[in-house]
Amino acid sequence: MTNNNQRSLGTVLTDTGLSLLAIAIAIIFIFPIYWAFSQSLRNPLDTFTVAGFGIPWVNFQPTLGNWIDQWSTPETVQSLANSTIIAVSASVLAIVLGTPAAYAVARFRFVRWKNRDITIWFLSQRVLPPVATVVPFYLLMRTLGLLDTHLSLILINATFVLPFVVVIMRQTFLDLPAELEEAAFVDGAGYFGAFWRVALPLAAPSMAATGLIIFAFTWNEFLFAVTLGSDKAITVPVHIAGAVDTRGVQFWFMGVRAMTVMVPPVLIAIIAQRYIVRGLTLGAVKG
Amino acid sequence: MRWTSRIRFVFLAPAVIWVLAFTIFPLGYSLYLAFYKIEQKVEITRYKEPRLDDQGQPVLDSKGNPRMKNVVVKNQVSTSTFVGGTNFKRLFNDPQLFEAVKVTATFVFVAVPLELAFGFLLALLFNRHIFGRPVLRATMILPIFATPLAIGYTFFTIFYEEGGPLGWTGIPFLSDPNWALFSVILVDIWQWTPFCFLVILAALQGVPDELYEAARVDGAGPWQLFTNVLVPVLQPTIIIVLLLRLAEALKLFDIPFAMTGGGPGVATQPYSLLAFRTGLRFFDLGYASAMAYGLLVVTMIIVILFFRRLRETYD
Repeated sequence: MTNNNQRSLGTVLTDTGLSLLAIAIAIIFIFPIYWAFSQSLRNPLDTFTVAGFGIPWVNFQPTLGNWIDQWSTPETVQSLANSTIIAVSASVLAIVLGTPAAYAVARFRFVRWKNRDITIWFLSQRVLPPVATVVPFYLLMRTLGLLDTHLSLILINATFVLPFVVVIMRQTFLDLPAELEEAAFVDGAGYFGAFWRVALPLAAPSMAATGLIIFAFTWNEFLFAVTLGSDKAITVPVHIAGAVDTRGVQFWFMGVRAMTVMVPPVLIAIIAQRYIVRGLTLGAVKG
Repeated sequence: MRWTSRIRFVFLAPAVIWVLAFTIFPLGYSLYLAFYKIEQKVEITRYKEPRLDDQGQPVLDSKGNPRMKNVVVKNQVSTSTFVGGTNFKRLFNDPQLFEAVKVTATFVFVAVPLELAFGFLLALLFNRHIFGRPVLRATMILPIFATPLAIGYTFFTIFYEEGGPLGWTGIPFLSDPNWALFSVILVDIWQWTPFCFLVILAALQGVPDELYEAARVDGAGPWQLFTNVLVPVLQPTIIIVLLLRLAEALKLFDIPFAMTGGGPGVATQPYSLLAFRTGLRFFDLGYASAMAYGLLVVTMIIVILFFRRLRETYD
């Protein structure tokens, strides 16, 4: 009995110690994001003089001045609008093209190119380094007169996230029993009817999560955004980079801009948590 | 109604055609470019033309002759000359490229293994009875999704040597070439360890408790538990994580771009950043395309190395 109690006391102490360690590690990982936030609230004069961990009200008097200043410049608003238009359109396009393909690979049997080969082909597009295609795309868009347009960035981003949609939605359809659609066939539904009215509604939550994750990918994309956008189609990351070139780093504004661009994808990460492991490993690991 | 109907191609075709169009075209085009030397020149032509007034009539001088003005027309022309394999040969004796390969290789061989190791350790830690695990786990996800470019600039302010939060250490985080590389690797580790952690944790939680129990009953110590139970069970997961991490490490671009601009000098300029600059800042398009192909070959080798495992995973 005593022995048992001692052991459980030992376990409690170990768990407490490990929990504290885990909390400390989580703080290290959140610190940079917190630091950007702290900087965004500082009076420019306080930038380098704030002591300690830069905690608002404790180490300095916070101000919303930087936020108001940045959010009232037309460039910020314009870049937010651009990023939203591009990311939403590219995500919708990729879902519309990718979901039927995922259904095909999950349900139908392909003979010459086996299902797994088609899946791996899509996956290998995801591994392709974007810098390998940036020069030809730049020249193509220049020839077509599409430089600095939303359309060029929508098309390219949709291409990059499309394989992701195929691989993730494939796993979603595989997890649904095919019997439901087969029952619909018996009731006289065709292939498209079974897909549209039976499989798709069941896959909707996963499709929404996939849409959110690819929205975040597109939102964060920088290489193509900086190559193709120069004025009218500047996205938020390019806006951030451009501001540095012209005036040097203004830490207080940088804080606002970094927070502005990071909030949407970070919120998505929290909302779509359940799907993230599967998403990030392209369906190879179930989370 | 069977699952072998030809209708399957109708479902599949749009995505396949789309991806083919948007990958075959650029890859083919850049292979073509790689055999050419492309130069952008500004052709200047000067000539004189009569000066016109508001009504479109020539302005006359006192002698009745039309006044002339000088016109300068600048015309950007790009010339391309076939140079055979020259661009590919340049790849092998370009000191700047060699430095860039070294930087990228450092990420592949130093940062990626560290991220896997830290991720694994963290996953083991979080697999214990941790208070508030859901909240802590959610916190750990944030670096994966935080915009890399913004992260780069944020770390620039954190590593700022005069007055930054780490300024008191006196370490030249960004101004010394070796420290700068160290700092960029540190940020990469910060960003990607959570990815390895999250995936390995998910796999760990899929390991049934009976497996541990059985091993313990057989008298396995912690080390044997690790090598004989955990490693074999986690192996498929770790291989997938490794593949994805290697692919991402070769793409590394945003964080050095924002944090160091590839500097000081070229100390933190990865391959992607050099190829981008060669093509789209210095407009040496042919050579940049050859560089892109170099990277493509390395990526393909990696995918092929993992191919057997991928077939098993997606069967």
